[in-house]
Amino acid sequence: MHAAVEILGLITISYFLALNGTYLVFTLLSWRDLSQHLRRRPFSAVDDALRSPFAPPISVLVPAYNEQTGIVESVRSLLALRYPQHEVVVVSDGSTDHTVVRLAEAYDLVPVRVAMRDAIAHQPVVQTWVSRSDPRLTVIEKRNGGKADALNCGICAARYPYVCSIDADTLIEEDALLRVAKPVLEDPDRVIATGGIVRIANGCRIERGQVTDVALPRSRLATLQVVEYFRAFLVGRVVWSRLRSLMIISGAFGLFKRSAVEAVGGYWTETVGEDAELVVRLHRHMRERGEDYRIEFVPDPVCWTEAPEDFRTLGRQRRRWQRGLGETLWRHRAVTAKPRYGALGMVAAPFFWLFELIGPMIEVLGYVGIPIAAALGILDVKFLIGFLVAAVALGMLLSIAALALEEISFRRHSRHREAARLLVYAIFDNLGYRQLTGLYRVAGMVDLCRRKSGWGDMRRRGIGRAAELEPVTERPVGGSVAVAE
Amino acid sequence: MIELLPALAAALVLATLPLIAALLVRRIRVAYRERRRARLERRVEPLALRLVDGEDADPTAEPLGSGEGVALAEVLTRYAQVLNGTARARIAEFFERSGAVAEQERRLRSRRAWRRAIAAKTLGDMRSPAASGPLVSCLDDEDAAVRSTAARSLGNLGDLDAVEPLVNVLADGTAPHAVAGYALLELGSGAVPTLVGLLESEREEVRAVAVELIGRLGCARDAALLVECLDDDSAEVRARASRALGRLGAGPAVAKLRRALVEPVPFIRAAAAVGIGRAGDAESLDTLLEHARVDSFASARAAARAASEIAPQQVAEIGDADPSAAGPHLVEAADRIAWGLD
Repeated sequence: MHAAVEILGLITISYFLALNGTYLVFTLLSWRDLSQHLRRRPFSAVDDALRSPFAPPISVLVPAYNEQTGIVESVRSLLALRYPQHEVVVVSDGSTDHTVVRLAEAYDLVPVRVAMRDAIAHQPVVQTWVSRSDPRLTVIEKRNGGKADALNCGICAARYPYVCSIDADTLIEEDALLRVAKPVLEDPDRVIATGGIVRIANGCRIERGQVTDVALPRSRLATLQVVEYFRAFLVGRVVWSRLRSLMIISGAFGLFKRSAVEAVGGYWTETVGEDAELVVRLHRHMRERGEDYRIEFVPDPVCWTEAPEDFRTLGRQRRRWQRGLGETLWRHRAVTAKPRYGALGMVAAPFFWLFELIGPMIEVLGYVGIPIAAALGILDVKFLIGFLVAAVALGMLLSIAALALEEISFRRHSRHREAARLLVYAIFDNLGYRQLTGLYRVAGMVDLCRRKSGWGDMRRRGIGRAAELEPVTERPVGGSVAVAE
Repeated sequence: MIELLPALAAALVLATLPLIAALLVRRIRVAYRERRRARLERRVEPLALRLVDGEDADPTAEPLGSGEGVALAEVLTRYAQVLNGTARARIAEFFERSGAVAEQERRLRSRRAWRRAIAAKTLGDMRSPAASGPLVSCLDDEDAAVRSTAARSLGNLGDLDAVEPLVNVLADGTAPHAVAGYALLELGSGAVPTLVGLLESEREEVRAVAVELIGRLGCARDAALLVECLDDDSAEVRARASRALGRLGAGPAVAKLRRALVEPVPFIRAAAAVGIGRAGDAESLDTLLEHARVDSFASARAAARAASEIAPQQVAEIGDADPSAAGPHLVEAADRIAWGLD
């Protein structure tokens, strides 16, 4: 029994050393890549591309379900994006509130039977609308089918060769579309998808759909997520992109070549991780055909999203993410450890299986089991010390290093007090929060095994939304606007 | 292994504390540098304005303090991007006289690509025509960012000798289309004679670029030059010629555009439809309506749109009378006409 517990202890400690050691290497690689990226920013020619009629036009797709609170402002900010030529396609996925009615009032929508491709199957369209005040806006009402289905519908309606999926409740910076499209501008033949960074909007000042003052959330839980996002985006995604095995482009903000998405059949509607699953499928499709391609992460362009501020919503979110990851990895298990798929198969997929999918279970076992075993005298105290060093101390260093990356790169939190606060949270990130998210992820694995489906509700305060909504006035616009009673 | 972990713990603490200290020092230094820069720019701004207004040909005749020279250069660089005419020429002259242009040209030979790229950008920002030659050489640089930046800067300088080199990089695909294409647009209608000469190039890529840019920079009288391009061997040239004629006015080319409307290549049909629509060629209406019903998506859409421009009333009636027979594109076109869209 003693020997068995010691072996488990060694396995757990080895796991943490391997995980955090890998992230340490990632951090160093990311440091180098970000430094190079920043050195090149002064001559990135963003302003010139902004004026260029040769920039490829983009269709911005906005899947929306019951977004009446903020949809008008969201669309306003999307139409105001600085990009030479783009359109906005809002897909109301069977909304039961006044999402479409509010858009109709704000943008003078009229019914136009928009021609759509039949490239990807989706739930039937009920009605399509075009704005008279801004013909770049198209609104589609369809039967409910989920976010992936709404995106597939949007792809079929898109006029332009590139589509950018954006969540209805995220805020995109004014030139974010141009920055995320930069790899496409530079290498249009090879780049088939790019993604930008997601930052947390809680606590920021938002005016007319734009973040005008970056600040940390008041909520401790949300602030911990700020640190976590630094690790995920500035370390994780930068390196995976460099290794040509980026497996996730955030569904909140991703740019895709429409023909490539159509070629693989669009988003998979049977998963809650449709964003990651699409990216992996694109990788497979291109590699299996031996085509030269790139899928890139661009650390510049920012979209801002609301982070959960209560444990229940956080738990739901993390369980859903874990489920989505598991569904994606399982569906594409054939790429794992296969040289044919390059770094994706030989490095990324095994990493995600071991450290992101199964790893949380080992972590939870370690956090619970080792201290108990040491307290009961079953395990030598040196194992406890070793575990604390490997799991907690090394984790703290990584969080601080991620913070350092943010500091040397984009430095969006310029106030000294906030930097100090972030430092404190980076230290304490590994004393409770990380363990909690580990538990949520284990619960997500349980959900996966039980084949749970659905997104669940997220309690939102709404970022930058009007405190009071004006009453809906249903103007006749030449067609019926379906609103559930 | 377990025995080594306390040593690892000590190493982590030793690594973390200097890292935190370095971040703190960096933050203080960055804040100081930003304040200093703002202060210096405020101080040199009157000098810059005197130069731009022509009141002071050489504001550096009196020696500048530490950092003031750099600040003056930065302020003038910003002004150069928004000014034209003699004001801009004065700024360029200042940079040439002060040796800044020569210094940046020297940096174009740096071993580090990012330094070469920054130098290429700075030369463009300085707006000195003397930099044109070295920038053209940079279009052959091994680094993509250097080529792209050099293309951009050549557009800024407005030197028409750069037309053919820029067309070549576009044809070769060695600089981003959006950047190099825009640089050519910045050269303006003065580039058209060179572009017309390139219509005779043996390379179809060059001819295609030249056709596209004539369509954007030229005027109605240049349309006649593009008519022959509708018979080019290259499908890409024919398609771009169709679109270009749509912009310039397809009057002399309508007969050939009608033939292009029935080409086997879909994107040529779509481009031809655009040109025909803008020319208002009523004879093509039946063909357009047929294409709008049965052709591939992009071609059908273009055909429906063109038909709407030529005969909106008729399209509206067709779309409303029998939507299933009319097809989705004519139905959409009919709705747009009804609501006064597009």
